[in-house]
Amino acid sequence: MTDKDFDLSRRAFLDGVLGATAAAGMTAAAPWAISAAQAQPAGSDRVRLGVIGTGDRGRTLIRNIVKTRNCIVAAICDNYAPHLAKGKALVSAATPSFTDHRAMLDAGGLDAVVIATPLHGHARQTLDAFDAGLHVWCEKAMARTIADCGAMVKRSQDRRKVLQIGHQRMFHPTYLNALRRVKAGEIGPVTQIRASWHRNNSWRRPVPPDSNDRQINWRLYRDSSAGLMTELATHQLQIGNWFLDAVPARVIGSGSICFWKDGREVYDHVALVFEYSGGRKLVYTSLLNNARYGCEEQIQGSKGSIEPELGRIYQEVPPKVLALQRMREDVKRGHKRAIPIGGATWFPELPVTTPGESLGWGEYDETMLQFEGFGEAVRSGKPLPGLLAQAYHASVASLLGEQAMDRGEAVTWPADLVTV
Amino acid sequence: MKAIQTERFAAMGTRAELHLFGPGDRDALLSARRAIEAVDDALTIHRPSATTMINECLMAGLSCVVDDPVLLDALIEIEAAHALTRGLFDPAADIARPGVGWGVISFDRDAARIQASRRVALDLGGFGKGFALDRACRVLKEAGATSAFLCAGESSIAVVGEHPLGGGWPVAIPHPLHPDRFLAEFELRDEALSISATVGAGANAPERAAMIRPTDASHVTAPRCTVAIDRSGARAEAMSTALLVADDDQAGRLLDGDPARRFVFDFSHETTMPVQPGEMALQ
Repeated sequence: MTDKDFDLSRRAFLDGVLGATAAAGMTAAAPWAISAAQAQPAGSDRVRLGVIGTGDRGRTLIRNIVKTRNCIVAAICDNYAPHLAKGKALVSAATPSFTDHRAMLDAGGLDAVVIATPLHGHARQTLDAFDAGLHVWCEKAMARTIADCGAMVKRSQDRRKVLQIGHQRMFHPTYLNALRRVKAGEIGPVTQIRASWHRNNSWRRPVPPDSNDRQINWRLYRDSSAGLMTELATHQLQIGNWFLDAVPARVIGSGSICFWKDGREVYDHVALVFEYSGGRKLVYTSLLNNARYGCEEQIQGSKGSIEPELGRIYQEVPPKVLALQRMREDVKRGHKRAIPIGGATWFPELPVTTPGESLGWGEYDETMLQFEGFGEAVRSGKPLPGLLAQAYHASVASLLGEQAMDRGEAVTWPADLVTV
Repeated sequence: MKAIQTERFAAMGTRAELHLFGPGDRDALLSARRAIEAVDDALTIHRPSATTMINECLMAGLSCVVDDPVLLDALIEIEAAHALTRGLFDPAADIARPGVGWGVISFDRDAARIQASRRVALDLGGFGKGFALDRACRVLKEAGATSAFLCAGESSIAVVGEHPLGGGWPVAIPHPLHPDRFLAEFELRDEALSISATVGAGANAPERAAMIRPTDASHVTAPRCTVAIDRSGARAEAMSTALLVADDDQAGRLLDGDPARRFVFDFSHETTMPVQPGEMALQ
């Protein structure tokens, strides 16, 4: 599949990525994407969403929701006035706004809520929404603790309400195409994924006079965030579980506040190894003082590698045999001479720098599609299959990684997780 | 000038190159590559494969059916090569189990069934390169190729037809101790050549498994290089391996079978080198 196979339309997405996937095992590997893409949303009767949290991420979500064919922003809520004001600018003047999520739930008129608040608020807001009879779409990571993640899953099951978590890569055409090619065996068995999210900034935001540091910079403090693990790694740990078709058996890791010694409580430098069955590994690093390698998952098999953020697939191509290169040149020039065979077989194991092949890019918006999928799930009362398990396990993995770094010892996968 | 097409890839634990000259299209070259990859998939013991499946059976003392056609063909050739080399080519020899080898295996080719009287496992890696080249050559010939040079690592080659400029393919074996000199030169036509050595570049690489004698599972330490040329790459691989592990008497008997196409260079007598292959053998 090349660039031209992707375009803006949902139809092309269906045909190009999901249409020919049954043989490659995609039906089992990404059933949520198939369900979402095949949904036939009606123009009217839109699902009414109340957005809790209208900071940067919340406003991005609002912009995506308004592009969907089946959802509408019916209310917004934020306890920080400047954020609420920016949220109001994105919706109609008639859209009710609230400073307290319970007031928004009590006001009624909603089918579901969208939660884009600091991590430590997710669980409480989710449980309140379920108790109010609403469905929930919540940003990743799910919650600040593994227990709270489980409580969210359990409550959604008890109330028979949809709980969907924001892992947009699971709807991304390039990732889906990458998975299709892995399932087809193009890179051989995947034995390692190297994932990294590297940035070069402090992650600290200026604090306006009407606020305080812990409110604005909640990602830097332990009571409200696990830092890099929950805010960035969660996405890539989900990709690891997805492409390895498993959850890790255990994790070892090291975390430190290595560069930004500014009073923050969360690590600015993490390195972990997630061990999967059969000796497979996800090797993860994230740091905040070097952006050279950016954000990437390097999915490595015996026959090739895939780098989905770059959108490229690489074959394992060894260096040329110099004697045979000379033989070709001799033939071209009409010369015939002895071909040396059995000489040195060792060659330097330098990085392969071949350009690879494109996995294809689309302008199609995966965040928008995941909301259309959520809208259909709310209408039917049936969650998109497989989606919540992926999100739950990704959040557990991120929090388990934090525990492994804090303890300085290997931590095994919990045996008491909620069955999804 | 004749068209030249090349396919370069990793397989059989080494780098493979296929060079097609003149007739034969891209699809034929890709099919030849697929043939080699199929052998890799069937014979590898470095990831789950048909071979690791039967190894599990053999190590558990069970009888099992070989339902992979590539592995079945390989086992048929191995049985023949074991006999041809008087038992010196033995992919079941194991340094951890002296005295255990192909001899403890019962292989019924008609029933496609294999079992062993003692715990044993197969390592088909070295043999597999020649076996894979045979299948790739067959694919190219069936597609109409008349001139091709195939290589699976620098010690296993096979050629289809003649050199694109006419005549045989001239190949030279570099002296493993003096890389600026050639040890021997040959001309090949529709043949395969395999080299085995205990000396030379890479011979002491940490990950390289030592060559062992199937008779007593001892290491081959003599400074030797052996060459075997055959219509079959699989037989060439088996023969060069057998010549390397053979003692002088055993090697002499094998060399007598085809003295123009089998060679042993013993570098214990370095002062007399270089000499012609016929003179070098078993000094």
